[in-house]
Amino acid sequence: MNQSLLPAAFRRSLRIRLLAGTLSWILLSIVLAGWGLDNLFRQHIATQFHGELTTHLDQLTAQLTMDEQGRPRLALPLSDPRFSRPYAGHYWQIDRLDGQPERDSPAIGQLRSRSLWDFVLNVPDDSLSDGATHRHRIVGPEGKMLGMIERSVRIDETPDARTRSFRLIVAADESLMLEPAARFGKILWLALGILAAGVVVAALVQVFVGLAPLRQLHGALGRVRNGEAPALEGDFPVEIMPLIEEFNSVLSQNAEVVDRARTQAGNLAHALKTPLSVLANAADSHARDNGELARLVGEQVSLARTQVDYHLARAQAAATSRLPGARTAVQPAIEGLLRTMRRIHADRGLQLNLRPIPETLSFRGEAQDLQEMLGNLLDNACKWARQTVECSVRHEAGCLVIDIDDDGAGLPAEQREAVIRRGIRADELVPGSGLGLAIVDDLARLYGGQLELSDSPLGGLRARLTLPAAA
Amino acid sequence: MRILVVEDEPTLQNQLAHELAAAGYAVDVAGNGIDAHYLGDTEPYDAVVLDLGLPQMDGITVLRKWRADKRTMPVLILTARDGWHEKVAGIDAGADDYLTKPFHMEELLARLRALIRRAGGHADAELSCGPLSLDTRNSRATVDGRVLTLTSHEYRVLAYLMHHRDEIVSRSTLIEHIYAQDFDRDSNTVEVFIARLRKKLPPGLIETIRGLGYRLSAPK
Repeated sequence: MNQSLLPAAFRRSLRIRLLAGTLSWILLSIVLAGWGLDNLFRQHIATQFHGELTTHLDQLTAQLTMDEQGRPRLALPLSDPRFSRPYAGHYWQIDRLDGQPERDSPAIGQLRSRSLWDFVLNVPDDSLSDGATHRHRIVGPEGKMLGMIERSVRIDETPDARTRSFRLIVAADESLMLEPAARFGKILWLALGILAAGVVVAALVQVFVGLAPLRQLHGALGRVRNGEAPALEGDFPVEIMPLIEEFNSVLSQNAEVVDRARTQAGNLAHALKTPLSVLANAADSHARDNGELARLVGEQVSLARTQVDYHLARAQAAATSRLPGARTAVQPAIEGLLRTMRRIHADRGLQLNLRPIPETLSFRGEAQDLQEMLGNLLDNACKWARQTVECSVRHEAGCLVIDIDDDGAGLPAEQREAVIRRGIRADELVPGSGLGLAIVDDLARLYGGQLELSDSPLGGLRARLTLPAAA
Repeated sequence: MRILVVEDEPTLQNQLAHELAAAGYAVDVAGNGIDAHYLGDTEPYDAVVLDLGLPQMDGITVLRKWRADKRTMPVLILTARDGWHEKVAGIDAGADDYLTKPFHMEELLARLRALIRRAGGHADAELSCGPLSLDTRNSRATVDGRVLTLTSHEYRVLAYLMHHRDEIVSRSTLIEHIYAQDFDRDSNTVEVFIARLRKKLPPGLIETIRGLGYRLSAPK
């Protein structure tokens, strides 16, 4: 079927497809069945009606005799009492066909059932072969439509030895046949209507129940995306299970690739930095012989180091920030970093304070990236602080807002943007602060977050890091 | 002061050993994790410079084993791995400081001095004892502002005694801390160094505690 010919809603929704498919077939088959049953019943009633008329006609034929004057008469009255009650709905009539009526009686309606009373059935002219029967619909007493059957009979052995022909007519009120059919039809359509309603409800339930695993899958995917689960979890029907397994294996393969990439990037950095160290130390130790060369080598080594650091951090982050399912608790990450800062900056005798963090707060991303961002910010704060560094974390509109304050000299507003964007050194006196903030900003952006620098209530710089929180 | 340098890259290992010796330390070197662990476990080092990416046993494992065996010497990790998660792992394994490659030799020396000082409970880079003072930053000893001329061994003996001021230091301890492992040690040489130092220092600074060793303290 041509997809574009289908309505948009039909193409978009599995539920509408299933419901439309199921319901149209169900309703069509119910209508066909109803129509068929109704017709069958009508046919059956009609057959029965005409069968009864034929029986009466046979009886009438059997009872037909003639009196001495050659007038038709019945040997015995017909057994059905409805022929005796006026306008009861069942009638018979005998017409003379040979055109030689007796003086005292007309040819049409020469002999009639009592039920006809004074009414004469007017039957359309018809040529009948002897003994054959014909059916007609005629107007009867009180204007009612009658179903009628006629037969012609020729009698040769008459008292006056003249051949006589008669037309025998038996008729009955059609409503006797139509009423039961209509009653049956009403009941039939009511029953089929109830059946259709039941089937529609059943189809709705079936579609709802049948599509439940898809809603479950939707929920599981949401949890993976929010970082609440590392893979799709839950019991799924065997029809969906292969899809789940494939998806999970793609996830774990992805994680493996990322892990490998990280390791390789780390190895490359390691491989580069040791020779750089050798080079720098060699240049240093020959500074007395060739000061210019030593200065040049030292400068280039330092440049190479910053470049390696920067691109390594970027490569690692770019590989992971889109990885679904990652989730990192904030508190242990910060506490580990603070332990490290206290050691690395032990000589400074700094006061490192962490405001209480709810244990449930988590970052939607890799632990290494969170540590990289916070580590750079805390290290920077420790380098500049006079005595105190303060760290606080809160949850705000689906985001983690992490503030790192120091009581150092601060950074003039016009330099903040430059420090973040290009990673230039704001002050050459403090070593290693070159690209730290730029790396943090890059990483935060890869995660859809941001880094802002402002004045700290402690007097120095406040670095505010906004990151996506895991639900 | 005796230092263990653990580094698998031979050129860098040489440079480190050379620079540290020039700064007045007795230096041992190890090129793999197994040797490093053995040396650290059996010799009394005043500090260790430890690379992490080592053959046979990685640096973090070596460090964990030392700490599990109650070896408490200060350890400075010197590595190319500069991710903060790696630094946290290193510190949590028991390191006292962390320096990433490429590095400036001055920074390494400064950090080592700080580590050794803190391990001895000294806050200042300049140690003093009466009229005698020792500036660990430039390995210079002065008496009342007058610079002393010391050989490297004399300096090591004096530096060790200054870091352990008012403590009794045995002759064998002195030997362990002024000589590298493969050096031909002669216990009599310690007496020679002490005797030479006494000539250069004001009288009464270095006492001999009979049967126990020596003690450096300010004269009362």
